[in-house]
Amino acid sequence: MKIKWLESFQKDQQQKVSAELSDAYDFDPRDPLFGLPRNDLEGPVMSRRAVLRLLAATGALTAWHMLPGTGIRPAAAASGGTLTAGWAGVGEIVTLDPAQINQVLQFQIASNVLSGLTHIDSDLVARGDLAESWQVSADGTQYNFNLREGVTFHNGDKFTADDVLFTYNRSRDPKQSIHSRAISNVKAVEKIDDYTVRFRLKSPQASFLVKSLERASGRAMTIVSRGALAKMDETDYGMAPVGTGPFRVTYHQLGQGVVLEKFDGYYDPERPKLDKVVIKPIIDTEPLAAALEAGDTQLIGGNPVPAELLDRFQSNSDLVVDIVPGPGFQSLWINPWHPHMRVPDFDKPLGDLMKEKGFKVRLAIAKALDRKRYIKQAQFDRGLEAFGTINPAMGFFFDTGINETSNQAFDPEAARRLMAEAGYPDGKGFPALKLLTTPANRRESQVVANILKKNLNIKIELDTKDFPVLIEDFDAMRWDLVRIGSGGDYDPDDGLVDWMQTASKFNGSKRDKSKQAFGFFSEKEVDQLVSEQRVVTDPEARRKMVRKANQITSDKVTCAFLFHPVDALVHHKRVNFPDVSRIPGLVDLDRVTLS
Amino acid sequence: MVTWIVATLVFFMLRAVPGDPLVAMLFDVGDPAAAEELRQKYGLDRPLFIQYVKWCGLLLQGDMGRSIYGSRVPVSTIIIEALPRTISLALLAFAIAIGIAIPAGIIAALRKNSFLDHATTLLAFLGLSMPDFWLAIMLIIVFAANLHWLPAIGYVPISQGVWPWLKHLILPAIAAGTAFSAIIARMIRSSMLEVIKTDYIQVARAKGLRKNTITLVHALPNALIPVITVMGIAFALLMATTVVIENVFSIKGLGRVLIQGILNRDYPVVQGAILVVSMIFIFINLLVDILYTVIDPRIRFE
Repeated sequence: MKIKWLESFQKDQQQKVSAELSDAYDFDPRDPLFGLPRNDLEGPVMSRRAVLRLLAATGALTAWHMLPGTGIRPAAAASGGTLTAGWAGVGEIVTLDPAQINQVLQFQIASNVLSGLTHIDSDLVARGDLAESWQVSADGTQYNFNLREGVTFHNGDKFTADDVLFTYNRSRDPKQSIHSRAISNVKAVEKIDDYTVRFRLKSPQASFLVKSLERASGRAMTIVSRGALAKMDETDYGMAPVGTGPFRVTYHQLGQGVVLEKFDGYYDPERPKLDKVVIKPIIDTEPLAAALEAGDTQLIGGNPVPAELLDRFQSNSDLVVDIVPGPGFQSLWINPWHPHMRVPDFDKPLGDLMKEKGFKVRLAIAKALDRKRYIKQAQFDRGLEAFGTINPAMGFFFDTGINETSNQAFDPEAARRLMAEAGYPDGKGFPALKLLTTPANRRESQVVANILKKNLNIKIELDTKDFPVLIEDFDAMRWDLVRIGSGGDYDPDDGLVDWMQTASKFNGSKRDKSKQAFGFFSEKEVDQLVSEQRVVTDPEARRKMVRKANQITSDKVTCAFLFHPVDALVHHKRVNFPDVSRIPGLVDLDRVTLS
Repeated sequence: MVTWIVATLVFFMLRAVPGDPLVAMLFDVGDPAAAEELRQKYGLDRPLFIQYVKWCGLLLQGDMGRSIYGSRVPVSTIIIEALPRTISLALLAFAIAIGIAIPAGIIAALRKNSFLDHATTLLAFLGLSMPDFWLAIMLIIVFAANLHWLPAIGYVPISQGVWPWLKHLILPAIAAGTAFSAIIARMIRSSMLEVIKTDYIQVARAKGLRKNTITLVHALPNALIPVITVMGIAFALLMATTVVIENVFSIKGLGRVLIQGILNRDYPVVQGAILVVSMIFIFINLLVDILYTVIDPRIRFE
């Protein structure tokens, strides 16, 4: 298996990454300060080492974080100008209120308008954003933040400790915020004086600091303006939130777009560089490309750039295409309660499962999936064959040999044999299966159906449903096959905990529990490995556990894994997007210039 | 009455459609309690009949409710923002359709079986056969991406200048109006062929009236009577069903509001949009009936 980005790593870089990773995970989880000296956790600037440790401790450290940064390039152009950005695959930006934000494409914008207490750059150096410095108590349950003075909100109000308290009280109320659970470990927030606040935690929690390290836009502690919220209702604030960020929202109409203008009162007089940013939501693929090629837009943000456009953009000398491994997986789920694919007990040893008729059919489907063909036809050759939830963006944990060791490795002959052994030689006697999919995924699902028809001679009928209906059916286990997957998986937990554990939030949460003991998968060893790997301190040991869990879920066919996507940033050459702004998940425009 | 029946039907049918808007909205958050909180907050946990009565009560006060999604923007605001875009697009598309259809239909009728007639027929079939989204994408590729003459996407209100408004609408209006121009041209051709055979046209010719006078003053108004109905339907359809064009050109008009609402199961938005669309259809039908009396004074409402 070729992983271009891994190959491109120089040996010394690989060694550096390996050393940093070992150091990041080298701590005792019982230590409330995560094995760091107390002053390492304090600011105004927190070292890369400390940030890596906290990310590791909270299970959020990824290979993406380890990519070597090159720092800020010298600005290629003077300040000023207007950048027009197309926001891909979306018809409207329904909210920019951090309390309601539930999509990456929303907080990509909010991150330019609102601030957190601290901000992390692509080199993983955390610097004060609204906090100038911070201290932590010896038991790791108290954090004192010294706030920056002289900061003003876009409406002219002064930023003080009261705004931090107001934000906390708003975010912890589930009636006002959908993120209340994220700060449930905070016991209290106290105002010491106008520019000092203290957070008291119920127990030490690395993720608390990590969340506040990030600019935190779209998160529970993104600072909102109490003055503005006293005058504006939730609708007006959601459309044009008032914050302390580098840009302020001057126009927002649903479906038409958002206009951000430089906030002259921003606390850093050097930023932002641009005068204005115009964000236009564009649903369809071709207009997204045409608008960029015509120069109507100069950068693509929002949802991932459609794979079919990447070759075209790369062949255009006016454009810059920056591709990194995408954090996620896409798969074909197979209902274990379907009478012809029934596997009611995944705890049996693999050898015993291999003798069961239902398992043979599941494995036949997984082995018949010609992933190379699928990626070529459905993903325009952009993507990597998948055999588990652990994706290449997780580098250290990713098993580059799993394509050969997995039970799901492509083998059409073996797949046909398995079908014959299950009593369906050449697919005869096997019922037509319904493949649940959304209109957006219909074409890709048709490719899956065609491949299974060709290799197993079984009939797959597409059952296309709108996303809200698909989710209801998925949760209630009302499907034969379903084409669904996960994105934003930066850490092994994102795939393993969310999808592979018996207690996973997606594992048939609304199924008929009297008839179905679990949803799509349940395996004791996997449950145990997933739980243990979350607390183990030795990175090598964690990697072994993660890989073992990944191998079991692959071999026992939790689902038929399809592909891992790629993540691409596309913009015109005249847009200078500094490396320091290439932060996973965000499109920070405060340092962007135009030439 | 018709509007109320439509509104009631939509209210109950929409809730019969499977798909929970809140579960879908909070799928990634993975917190069922959050969905329940929102369900209570929005009153979606209450019995259907109570929800209906409450909605009707608010509607009588001119309040269409608020979108379930995101910032809970009032439905009336969403519709008021979308209407100028839809009206602008529909009017320009209609003008283009009529501008092509009337001369093409008249010429085809007057030069029956000539090269011009056959060419018009062929173009009409082409116009009818081309899917509007395909034509839209071709227009974008040629005139926006390659020639850079017109913008590929977006809408600018007329308040920002007539030319910026017009240049953003030319391509979508051509894409939306082409199919209707083909239909109307064929209708005008056949209607004109009927009219020019009638006695009063022969009399006009015998009186030595100029050909243009006969065609435009005497024949065309009568030929337009059956066509007006089709034009009315065409205009109403342009007001509500150009969602594909709106998607391609990233213009949030009424059609896109409606479709997006249906896909998201955003009940208040769909109810409000359908209500407005049904009122548009009723209004345009009324307008068509009035136009009959203007074109042919013999027609009277009794």
